[in-house]
Amino acid sequence: MSIKELEKLRKKARNIASIGILCSVALTLLFFHIEKSSGSTYIESLACSYLGTGIGICITQLISSKSKEKFTIAFKKTFVLKSLKSVFTNLNYEPEKGIDESIIRNTQMMYMGDRYYSNDYIKAKYKNINIEQADVHIVEKHERGKRTTWVTIFKGKWMTFDFNKNFKANIQVSQNGFKNSKINNWGNKLKYKKVMMEDQSFNNQFMTYAQSEHEAFYILTPSLMEKIKNLANTIDGKILLCFVDNKLHVGIQNNKDSFEHSIFTKINENKVIEKISKDIKLITNFVDELDLDNDLFRKEV
Amino acid sequence: MNPVYVILIVVAIIIFIFAIWYISTSNKLNRLVVKIDESLSGINVALTKRYDVLTKMIEVVKLYTKHEKETLFEVIKLRDNMSLKEKSKANQAMNESFKKINIIAENYPELKSSENYKTLQQSIADVEEHLQAARRLYNSNVSLYNQQLVSFPTSSVAKSKGMAKKDFFEIDEIKKNDVKIEL
Repeated sequence: MSIKELEKLRKKARNIASIGILCSVALTLLFFHIEKSSGSTYIESLACSYLGTGIGICITQLISSKSKEKFTIAFKKTFVLKSLKSVFTNLNYEPEKGIDESIIRNTQMMYMGDRYYSNDYIKAKYKNINIEQADVHIVEKHERGKRTTWVTIFKGKWMTFDFNKNFKANIQVSQNGFKNSKINNWGNKLKYKKVMMEDQSFNNQFMTYAQSEHEAFYILTPSLMEKIKNLANTIDGKILLCFVDNKLHVGIQNNKDSFEHSIFTKINENKVIEKISKDIKLITNFVDELDLDNDLFRKEV
Repeated sequence: MNPVYVILIVVAIIIFIFAIWYISTSNKLNRLVVKIDESLSGINVALTKRYDVLTKMIEVVKLYTKHEKETLFEVIKLRDNMSLKEKSKANQAMNESFKKINIIAENYPELKSSENYKTLQQSIADVEEHLQAARRLYNSNVSLYNQQLVSFPTSSVAKSKGMAKKDFFEIDEIKKNDVKIEL
């Protein structure tokens, strides 16, 4: 699809959304006015106006979601796919599909909340390393009396990589500030223990849990610890590394939705490509910086 | 209440608190000793693995060259209850053998390109990593233990139990370079 056609789709989506927003504002004012003129207090009128806002938002969602989705998919298939193809091989990109929930659940290292959303699924090879990744949003239901709220447990990126060493026990490295990771000893033959590495600055920045201390020292070499520290410093967000079944799972909690373009922003090809490249670099950096393509230690299984 | 009773109760409480502290500190030190012993067994496992790979490698070398086993292999004896120094010495002897094998392989391209040899080279790298991990874990535990032994008041408990500082397991620089073998 050409940029001109894409812009046309974006403008259509933007116009519909704008109409929806205007409707919301109008409904808010209308509800406030009706309530106020019926003799209610200012606070009561304000509360009633929220109802108008709510209805307005629902209407906006209803009328604009289709056109927005149409633009988003067209945008991703045009720009994102092209950029991904230039970096990865054996690429399978499905913007609407997500990473399977069981992949994260089976690590037993994350609270999975009550609802799971995922999109922008990528399965590919980079420097001969198998990669899977997607944007993930996990929320938990909180009920207080009649009020129900949905609290975000995790929002960001979840990635899996082939790891360049074979290991027998699972390890978790969680950056301080990463929320809702967990350690599950229930039913596991090998119990997780907190491990203090010899690098004090690493211990200050990360919490390490392992089913075997030896395996933790085997995987987390001084050079890998240094690389993890450097990588964590360059990432906007907190990271969780799970070494499970000879794979490296990475969770980046950054509250971001990658590969997205706002319908209210004009498409500037250079800027768009730059932003997408940044999102892709977030994935490839793990292979490049952690030297995951160095298979000196990997024995064929 | 009689002041004598009060004093007795206070003294009893102090003795009780001291006893609890002494037992918990003593247990903590014992746990550290157990951890050191466990990590030492990790070194033993890694050394044995290294020895096994070396033996297999010598067999492969013999297939491609006319070198006798004795010229490649210094007499290395691995046994239980070896001291750290003896382990280090055995490790050093293995280094020498690996060095000899690498030099020989340079002169025998067929050997160097054989799948068996390549696989074994990969195994060495892995075994080396395991040995490094075991060494780091052991040294990390020894470091924690030694720190406790010089920190007051834990040092007084250690002294009363006759605990002494433990040695670190050192690996020479040549050995560390083994990991960087190019295939």
